[in-house]
Amino acid sequence: MSAAPAQAQAKKPGVYLCGGCGIAQATPLDALEKVASKEYKVAHCRKHDFLCGEAGVKLIRDDIAAGTVNQPVIAACSSRVNADRFRFDGAQVIRANLREQVAWTQEPGSEDAAMAAADYLRMALTEARKSSPPVAYDIAPYSERVLVVGGGISGLTAAREAAEAGYQVLLVEREAKLGGQSLAWSKRMPHLPPYREPRANDIEALVKAVESHPAIEVRRECRVVKTSGGPGKFAVELSQGGAAREEAIGAIVVATGWRPYDPNKLGHLGYGATPDVVTGVALEGMLAKGPLVRPSDGRAAKLVAFVQCAGSRDPAHLPYCSSVCCGVSIKQALQIRQSDPDSSVYIVYDELRTPGTAEEFYRAAQEAGVVFVKGKVKGVGADLTVTYDDALLGQSVPMQGLDLVVLATGMVPNATELGDSGEAAPLPPADINPLSPIPVAGYAAEAPAAQAAAPAAAATQGASLLNLQYRQGPHLPILADGFADSHFICFPYETRRSGIYACGPLRRPMDMAESAEDATGAALKAIQAIRNVVEGRGLHPRSGDLSFPKIGLTTCTKCRRCTVECPFGAIDENEQGQPVVNPSRCRRCGTCMGACPVRTISFDNYSVEMLTSMIKAVEIPDEDAEKPRVLVLACQNDAVPALDMAGIARSRLNPYVRIVPVRCLGSVSLVCVSEALSSGYDGIVLMGCKSGDDYQCHFVKGSAMAQERLQKVGETLKSMALEKERVRPMEVSIADAARLPKLLDDYLAEIDKIGPSPLKGFG
Amino acid sequence: MSDPKAGAKTYTYYPGCSSQASAIHLDKSLRAVAPKLGIALEEIEDWNCCGASVGHVEGGALPQTALSGRNLAKARQQGSHDVLTACAACYLNTHGVNEKIKQDVRTRARVNQALGAADLKYDGDLNVRHACEVLVNDVGLERIKGQVVNPLKGLKVAGYVGCQTVRPFAATQSGGEYDTYDQPEFLDNFAEACGAEAVAYDPKTSCCGGSVSVHSPDKTLHLIKQIVEAAVEAGADVIATPCPLCQQNVEMYQDAINKKFGTSFNLPVVFYSQLMAVAFGMDAKADAALDANMIAPVKLVELAKKAAG
Amino acid sequence: MSAAPAAASAASAGRRQYDLGFARWVYQHVEGGDKVAMCMQCGMCSGSCPIGTAMDHGPRKLFMMIRAGMKEAVLTSNTIWNCTQCYNCVVRCPRKVPVTAILQSLATVAVKEGYAPTQSTPKFSKAFWLSVARFGRTDERLVTALYYFSHGLKEGIRRALENLPIALRMIKAGRMHLGLPHRAKGAADLRAILAKAEDIERAERAGGKPS
Repeated sequence: MSAAPAQAQAKKPGVYLCGGCGIAQATPLDALEKVASKEYKVAHCRKHDFLCGEAGVKLIRDDIAAGTVNQPVIAACSSRVNADRFRFDGAQVIRANLREQVAWTQEPGSEDAAMAAADYLRMALTEARKSSPPVAYDIAPYSERVLVVGGGISGLTAAREAAEAGYQVLLVEREAKLGGQSLAWSKRMPHLPPYREPRANDIEALVKAVESHPAIEVRRECRVVKTSGGPGKFAVELSQGGAAREEAIGAIVVATGWRPYDPNKLGHLGYGATPDVVTGVALEGMLAKGPLVRPSDGRAAKLVAFVQCAGSRDPAHLPYCSSVCCGVSIKQALQIRQSDPDSSVYIVYDELRTPGTAEEFYRAAQEAGVVFVKGKVKGVGADLTVTYDDALLGQSVPMQGLDLVVLATGMVPNATELGDSGEAAPLPPADINPLSPIPVAGYAAEAPAAQAAAPAAAATQGASLLNLQYRQGPHLPILADGFADSHFICFPYETRRSGIYACGPLRRPMDMAESAEDATGAALKAIQAIRNVVEGRGLHPRSGDLSFPKIGLTTCTKCRRCTVECPFGAIDENEQGQPVVNPSRCRRCGTCMGACPVRTISFDNYSVEMLTSMIKAVEIPDEDAEKPRVLVLACQNDAVPALDMAGIARSRLNPYVRIVPVRCLGSVSLVCVSEALSSGYDGIVLMGCKSGDDYQCHFVKGSAMAQERLQKVGETLKSMALEKERVRPMEVSIADAARLPKLLDDYLAEIDKIGPSPLKGFG
Repeated sequence: MSDPKAGAKTYTYYPGCSSQASAIHLDKSLRAVAPKLGIALEEIEDWNCCGASVGHVEGGALPQTALSGRNLAKARQQGSHDVLTACAACYLNTHGVNEKIKQDVRTRARVNQALGAADLKYDGDLNVRHACEVLVNDVGLERIKGQVVNPLKGLKVAGYVGCQTVRPFAATQSGGEYDTYDQPEFLDNFAEACGAEAVAYDPKTSCCGGSVSVHSPDKTLHLIKQIVEAAVEAGADVIATPCPLCQQNVEMYQDAINKKFGTSFNLPVVFYSQLMAVAFGMDAKADAALDANMIAPVKLVELAKKAAG
Repeated sequence: MSAAPAAASAASAGRRQYDLGFARWVYQHVEGGDKVAMCMQCGMCSGSCPIGTAMDHGPRKLFMMIRAGMKEAVLTSNTIWNCTQCYNCVVRCPRKVPVTAILQSLATVAVKEGYAPTQSTPKFSKAFWLSVARFGRTDERLVTALYYFSHGLKEGIRRALENLPIALRMIKAGRMHLGLPHRAKGAADLRAILAKAEDIERAERAGGKPS
C-alpha cells in the first residue's frame, strides 16, 4: 500500500438509503433522511429503490468519482451480502443493516421498526465518524519461499503442489531417503475407482518428481533447530551434518507424519512371546518379499488372523481410533488371499471402521472369503491362540491352530522431535492448549515472562519440531491426543501459529490418499498466507483485512495483558517492556484491544471509542415509554450470520434489541459494557462462539477471554447497584438461527421481570 | 375368450396342491371370477407339488428345485403364456426357481440334467406371476370395479396380506413391482373395489408362522392371535387374504387360541377372490365356495343371498 | 458340496467346540453360504424376525457362530428349523444376504449329517417329501398321519385325536377328501427326475462329476 494515508483527507460521508427488499415498506425513508441531515449533519443523502442494481451502484460510484463522497454509508442489506457490489476504490464503505435486522425481522410500518432503523443508521453514521480507512502495514522485504518439514507422502505432495503453483520450496527430511513410512508398503489401499483392489505403491514416482523439480530444494538428514519471525519473514535455522544455516521463509508446512504405536507395550497380545506375532507394519515388509511365511520357522503361513484395534481405542494405550488400520488389514488380507487361494484369513474386529470408499473395499474382501469375526480380543497366547469375547455369543472363543497373528497397531503423531533413537517421545508439555488455559494477567494470575529463547542445540527426544520463538512456547499446539491441529472442521491445517500449517497424520490419523489431499490443502494455505502477508492483509478468518492493532505507547502501562491474551503470539515486549506488534502474525481479532485496560490499542476502523460511541448513538426511550433496550454485542463469525439467517427466514426478532457487530467477543472491552449500562440499556447480551474444550471461537481463545473478563463484570454491576441479570453471555453457533429469536425474547422477559434500568436518563 | 371385446389374455395356470384340499375355495372362486376379468386359465397338465417350504429339508436343494423345473418344463410345452399361480408358496418356489434358471447358468444346467431323466427341458423363457400381481398390473382396479353388481356394502374387511405374496418379490422388477414389502395396498384396494370397507389394519404383513404353525403351533399361536386380535379390534367382519397357508392357519387355530389365551375369537377368514365372486353377483356356493370356510362368513353369505334373492 | 470338515484333530478326542475351518467351509460349500461372508453383523435380521423368541439364536448370532467355528452349536440349533420364511430379514438386509435360503441350506446339511434327529420339521419334511416323491402331489391326510406317527405310535394317536376336531371340520368344509390320494399322472417321470437330481447332488458331495 503505497497510497497516501487516507485519514489525511477530510471525511466526506454520504448516506445511501435503499428502499428495496421491503425496506421502504418497513420504515419511512424520509425519517431516516432526517436522521442523517438533522442529527448527523450529513447533507449528501440519496434514496434509491434498488441500490445494488446497476443504476444504484453507479449513483454511488459517480459521487465518489466526483469527489463528493469518500465515506459512503450504505443503509441497505447486511454487510455479509453484496460486499462486491458495494466495494469502491478509494472509499471507506460503512454498512447499516436495514434489511435482515429491520425489514425482515420487524413488523413492517410499526413504530418499533422505524426506531430500530433510525438507531442502526445512527450507529453507522457514528462508525463513519469514529473510524478511518485502514492502511496496511508494510514490513518488506518478504520471503515467498515455502518450507516443508518432512519428506513422506504428505511433505512430498505439499512440496510438489506448492512448486507447481509457482513457489520456491525448501523440503527438509530428517532421514537419508525421501518417502517416509510409505517406502515400506508392499501395496497401497485403493484410492481410485472401483476401490476394490490393493494398488501398486507409487511413492517412488512421487519421490522422483520432487527430487527432479527445479523449484524444490531437498535437504536430507536435516532438522529445524529454531524458528523465529512470522509469516513472510520467518527466520528458520537448519542443522545438517553438524552445520547450522539460517533460511528466510514465507510460510511453513509441517508434515512430520506418524510412527506406529510401540508393539512392545502389547505383551498381552503376544508380541514378543513368539516371532509369529507381528505388526501390520512388519507384515508389509513380509508381503513385499513374496509368499507369506512364518518368521519362526519359514513355513508357509496359511491361517492368518488379524487383531484389530491392537492398542487402539484403549484407555491404557491409544485412546483414539487410527481410522486406517481396518482398511490396511483388509488390504493385507486380500493380498494374502490373492497370493494363496488355500489360505484362510480372519479379521477379528470390535467395530470395523471403513469410511468412504473403504466400505467398497470391505465388501470386496468379504466376497473374497475373508472371514470377519466380531469380538474384542482378550489375549494372544505364545501358541498363537487368539481369544476373543463377543457380547452376542456371550463367551470367550479361542481361535486355535493359526500360523501367524498380525496386530493392527495404531498411528502416533510425530508432534515432537523423535531424537536419534526414533523411539516414542513424550507428548509436548501443555502450553496454550485450551484444555489448560493460560492464566490471564490481572484477572487470574500474573502474566508469565516472555518465552526465553530455547537453546539452539541439536534436537533431542521430545524436543520441539520447529523450536518456535513464541511466548506460548516452542511447540506446535495440540488439540487432543497429541495431534497438532486447532479445529478439525472449522479451521483445517491451522496450527494457531500464523503461517504454519500442519497436514497429514500429524494432524489426525489418515491414509496415503487422504494425506496427499491434506497436504495439497496445507500447501495452498501456505501460499495464501504468503500472498496475504505480502499485501499487508490479515489471514484467516479475517482474510484480506488491512487493519492491524496500533498501540499508543505514551499511555501504555506495560501491564502485558495484550501480550499474554493474544491467541497468536503476535505481540511481544521489547527490552523496555513495551508491547511490539508482529503484524504478520496478527489475525486482527482485537483481543488485545479488549484486553487493554487503558484503551490505547485500536485499529484504524475499529476501536473501543468507536464501539462505545455506536452503543451510545442508540436512542434510549424513557422509562414511561415502556420500550426497553437490550444491547447485543454479536460476534461477526457466527452470531451475526445466525442473526442474518433469522432474518432470511423472516423470523420476528424482538424489537427492543440493538445489535452491534464485533470482530470477536475477545475484542469487547469491559468499558463497552459499563458505558452501555450507564447509558441506560436495560440489558446486555454478549453473543459469541462456544469456548472451552471443544471451542468454536475462530480466534481460539477470544470467547474464552471474554468469559474470563465477564467474571469481573459482577463487581462493576455491584458498584453500579445493578442486578447480575443485566449482563448475559450467550454462546451460539451458526446452526442456532432458528432458536435465536426465542433466546432473545426469553431474555427480554427476564429483564421485564426485574424492571427497567435505574440508570435510564442519566447517560 | 367369452368376451373378445375385453381382450381376454391366456395364462398357464398352476393351481398347486392346496387347490385340491385346504384351499379349494381359492381355486374355485378364482376360476369363477377369472373370465369376468379377461383372464383365461389353462391348467398345466399333470403339474406336481412345488415342494412348499419344507421339501428341501428331506429332499435336498436340487430335487426341490427340480420339482419346479418339471412344472415349468410342462408349462413351456403348452406354450409361452405367462404362468399364473395364486398360492404364495407355489409362487415363491416357482418364481424363485424360474429366476434362478434364467440368471444362473449352473442351476440351469443342473436342473436340465435332472429333467433329462424324463426327456424334459426348460431354458427359462417363461414368466411366473402371482395372481394378485396380474390383477394389479394386467387387469386393473377399474375393470374389477366394472364387474361389481353386488357391492359389499357395509362389509368391514381386514386385509391380511401375509408374507410370501409380497416378500421377497413384490417390489422387484421380475415380481412386477406391484406393491411394497411392508405396507402393501393392493388387498385393501381389491376390497374397496368390491364395495367393502377396508379397515385400518396394522399386521398386514405379519407372519402367521407358515409351516411352523402347521407342525409346531405351540411356537406360533401368539403370532396368529395378534393377527386376529387386531382385526377384531378394528371392527372387521372378515379377514381377507391371498395366501392359502395364511387362510388355513388363521382360521383353523382360532379355537386353540381361545383355549390357550382365554379369548373368544370366531372371525371368518376368506380369500379376496371369494369377495370378488360375491361382489360380481355370482353363486355363493358354486362360485364363491363360501361353504368351504370352516368359520362361516355370515355377513358375506347374507350379501350373496341378497343378490341371488 | 463336500463333507463338512471333520471335527477331530489327532490331539483332541471327541468333538471340538470351535472349528476354525467351519466358516470357510460354509462360505464355499453351503448353497448360498458365500453370502454369509457379506454379513456385517448389524442385526436387522434378528430385529425383524417374528419368531425370534422361539429361536435359540437369531440369524445374526447364528452367522457370528459360523464365523466363530461353532459347527455343532449351529447345526443343532433350532434356529434353522423355526424360520417361518416370512422373508422380512431378506428384504431388509442391507447386504442382501438371503437369510431364509441360508437357513434352509443349513437345515439340509443338518439332516444329511445327522444333527437333527429330534426336530419336528425334518419329520414333517420327511412325511411331506414321501408324499411328493410318491404321488407328485401332497396329500394332507397322508402327510399329517406320517408326521404324527413319526413321533411314535402313542404320540401319533395323541396328536391325531387332539387334531380330530379340526380334521372333521375340514372334511365338513370339503377341504379334506376321503378318497385315494391326489396324484400326478406323471408321478413316475417325476420320480426319475428327483432320483437324478439326488444323484447329481450326491456326486457333487463326493467331489466327483455327476454321471
